[in-house]
Amino acid sequence: MCHGCCGCCSAFRPRYKRFVDNIFPVYPQDGLVKSNMEKLTFYALSSPEKLDRIGEYMYQRAARDIYRRRYGFVIIAMEAMDQLLLACHAPTLNLFVESFLKMVQKLLESTEPELQILATQSFVKFANIEEDTPSYHRRYDFFVSKFSAMCHSSEGDQIRIAGIKGLQAVIRKTVSDELVENIWEPVHMDKIVPSLLFNMQNARFLNDTTESIPEDQTDPPMLAETCMRELVGRASFGHIRAVLKPVLKHFDLHKLWAPDSNPNSNEFAIHTFRIIMFSIQAQYSYTVVETLMAHLDENVKSSPIIRTSIAGVLSKIIAIAAGENVGPTVLEIINSLLSHLRDSVKHGTSMTEEKQYQEALINALGEFANHLPDYQKIEIMMFIMNKIPFPLVDNHTPADNLLQSILLKSLLTVGTKYQTIHLNATFPVSFLEPLLRMSLAPDPDMRLLVQKILHTLIDRHHNLEKLSKPTVNVTELDLVLEKSSRPDLIFINKHGPIIYDALYTSLQMDTNTPDNVEVVYTTLALLCVELASTETVIDLLQLVLGIQSLALNSTSLSNSQKFNLHALVISLLVLIPSVVSIQPLLDYANQIVDARKQEAPHLLPDLLVHYPANCEVANKVPHLLVDQMAVCENVKSGGLDPSRLAQTSPYGAGGPGVVVGGQRNSWIENARGSIIEMNTNQEVDSASSSPGVQRKLPEEELTFESMKKVLTEPAETRKEAEARRRKQLSDTFRTATFSELVRRTQPKHDVLQNKLNEIFKSLSANERRNPPEIEKKMEKPAYEQNFPELFFY
Amino acid sequence: MDDYKFLFKVVLVGNAGVGKTCLVRRFTQGLFPPGQGATIGVDFMIKTVDVDNEKVKLQIWDTAGQERFRSITQSYYRSAHALILVYDISCQPTFDCLPDWLREIEEYASSKVLRVLVGNKIDREDREIPTHVGEEFAERHNMYFLETSAKEAENVEKLFMQIAEDLMKVSRFLCDN
Repeated sequence: MCHGCCGCCSAFRPRYKRFVDNIFPVYPQDGLVKSNMEKLTFYALSSPEKLDRIGEYMYQRAARDIYRRRYGFVIIAMEAMDQLLLACHAPTLNLFVESFLKMVQKLLESTEPELQILATQSFVKFANIEEDTPSYHRRYDFFVSKFSAMCHSSEGDQIRIAGIKGLQAVIRKTVSDELVENIWEPVHMDKIVPSLLFNMQNARFLNDTTESIPEDQTDPPMLAETCMRELVGRASFGHIRAVLKPVLKHFDLHKLWAPDSNPNSNEFAIHTFRIIMFSIQAQYSYTVVETLMAHLDENVKSSPIIRTSIAGVLSKIIAIAAGENVGPTVLEIINSLLSHLRDSVKHGTSMTEEKQYQEALINALGEFANHLPDYQKIEIMMFIMNKIPFPLVDNHTPADNLLQSILLKSLLTVGTKYQTIHLNATFPVSFLEPLLRMSLAPDPDMRLLVQKILHTLIDRHHNLEKLSKPTVNVTELDLVLEKSSRPDLIFINKHGPIIYDALYTSLQMDTNTPDNVEVVYTTLALLCVELASTETVIDLLQLVLGIQSLALNSTSLSNSQKFNLHALVISLLVLIPSVVSIQPLLDYANQIVDARKQEAPHLLPDLLVHYPANCEVANKVPHLLVDQMAVCENVKSGGLDPSRLAQTSPYGAGGPGVVVGGQRNSWIENARGSIIEMNTNQEVDSASSSPGVQRKLPEEELTFESMKKVLTEPAETRKEAEARRRKQLSDTFRTATFSELVRRTQPKHDVLQNKLNEIFKSLSANERRNPPEIEKKMEKPAYEQNFPELFFY
Repeated sequence: MDDYKFLFKVVLVGNAGVGKTCLVRRFTQGLFPPGQGATIGVDFMIKTVDVDNEKVKLQIWDTAGQERFRSITQSYYRSAHALILVYDISCQPTFDCLPDWLREIEEYASSKVLRVLVGNKIDREDREIPTHVGEEFAERHNMYFLETSAKEAENVEKLFMQIAEDLMKVSRFLCDN
């Protein structure tokens, strides 16, 4: 009818209408009249000012055809519009686009799936055209709404695919052009993102059941995934959150963190976030982590399963983000993870799910640290260290304990990812000290953890496995040795004393299990192996002798614990000369081993919790013990200078009449000093230059020239007279002092002073010293306060 | 020729199974689909009506009632000119949820949106919500109220026509000023 009408009055109609009318065939199945279409195109190009009218007229015709359900003509009209659109030159395009989009919308509004799909295809073609003139008034919200609705269609994949493609086209069209509609507005994102996710997730489940449509290479999930990648990839910093928010909301609402069907499978969540992480512009990737973390915050009240799942996702993606992280964001993330851990502990039910959650968090922490550069790992370890509640604070609760051990576990996780190169880089003072302090925690399990952290940080040559148990068969261990470097030696010279001191003190704990002793052995053995040098060997031997005398003289340790210590001593005594190769000493050590094998196997490894009742206490078999003089001799014949070894051991009482080297004393001073004043770490070379020495351990200075003047005669004379008895006496009291001191040492000045005073009082009582001395000692902390600069070098 | 003078977006919300899709179908296609499945996400229908000899195009967005689609459905509230909040007069829980729906509308929809409360399924014998209860609720919350039956085509036409007229009045008023 239309055609007939047009035919009769065509002469009186405007030319553009005639051109348009002529492209339609008599019967729609004949298709577009190609030759007339070419004429129309030529006309449109030669008089582009007519484009808007052409478009308008075509739209009206098509609208009428839709109304009359003559879809064949509608399809032809759309095809013609597509061709015109592509033929148009950019500057004139705007005139035509308006009616083109109206046409597309009209088709989308119809209920015919075929027309909707056709409209989408045309829209995609349009979206691929680069426009050079912005169109301020053009709006796409209908398209976003409609395409999103199509994504949810239950009428088959074709409509969904069309919907996804349409969304993709809208995104392409709008992101590149700042002047048109802002696609990143929540209004749009809240539609687009869930629609894409819905398709990704939906077909995923379908795929599991029926793997049927391989011939269709673009199935909705694949397409939706591609579109998602594109969307995320184009998002700038300000827009990322607009994308992520609906993602999280969608996951919450669809219970995708922990699907009902399989609560422990968060596969889809991981899959989705991986897509996001891999597509996002790398410099923004940490935003995803942050957002996810914030989402974890919001889910504090949710079930642990959901939190575990989110944390699990975090741990899977955090590594991808780590590479791009810099500066404060790293610590922010760590801090956030730690505070989640803390919260979890606080709510502290011992439910297995909660535990899984904690584990997932620690895992995430480890993953994150794993992908950071080494210098940041140290920073992180220090950061975690700072977060650990100090174990010696009196009012700690079980939750505190749990938190400590969890934080230590996370520290250990981070530590294992760290590759030590130089020890001084690994152990800055501000990290080493709290760590050592923690190694004296009252809880044996905690001490165990701390030693393990030390192991992983000290071990550079993968000897850890080999040295995990004390043994006297060092040759079988096949240790990897390397000459230690200068910086390492400087490190151990500087900090060795406080390390040895802490290890020694931890061995005095009467709660030690064989495990505790074993890990200390491992620490010492690793130190020995890593820092094998003639310079360090004396210090180590000194410590070994100290431990032996601890085993002999301690009153608080059980017999089994003492046996454990003896076994540790002999293991180290064999290890040290084999590493540094002092043959005479090694021979001597092996002699003792052989002798013990014969007479007292309980003084050799392995370490046991209970020993047979008939085991002889070591004190009764002096010939099986390590003799200080013999060690000195052997060291000497091995070519080393044993003079320091022969001197007073800082661990036990010094030998009689020994001139105390500055070095030994000064480290004690140092250790204390550095705990008191975090910045005093320099070596103090001689007692005379360090007033603190006198103050701290006057009993050690008894024979020192300068001290002679200061200290009163009686002490000297008594010492000369009953050297042996005194040795034992001071031995006991000084061991006690040590642990007391270290245990009570706290960064706070006044507390320390009080404690010191207390200790000195009890000390003097033990020693029956004369009052003036006490006075002197009591004065000294004040002195230190008044002249702190004396601690600086 | 189908050019229109006014375009209004109408969004239907309410619990799953109260008959939102059926209302839309009845109005746009004049049929009552028995055994209508649950809507997934959002559905879209269009209908042009004559009001005072003016063509008014209604874009009707029919949302899924299921909780899990809440994120996508909420995003459609914002641009709506009118919101139809539907409950089932034979199902108390769907009425009890109305305050929650209002809260959501409050949060996501524009403040000027026209709100209509609809009690559907009045063809059912087992009524649980008396008409006056629905009326009172609507009055309290400043909404229009209507009881409908999509099955019997009762008040369905009236519902949408009234919305179209009201919206036209409002937009005319705005135009004049």
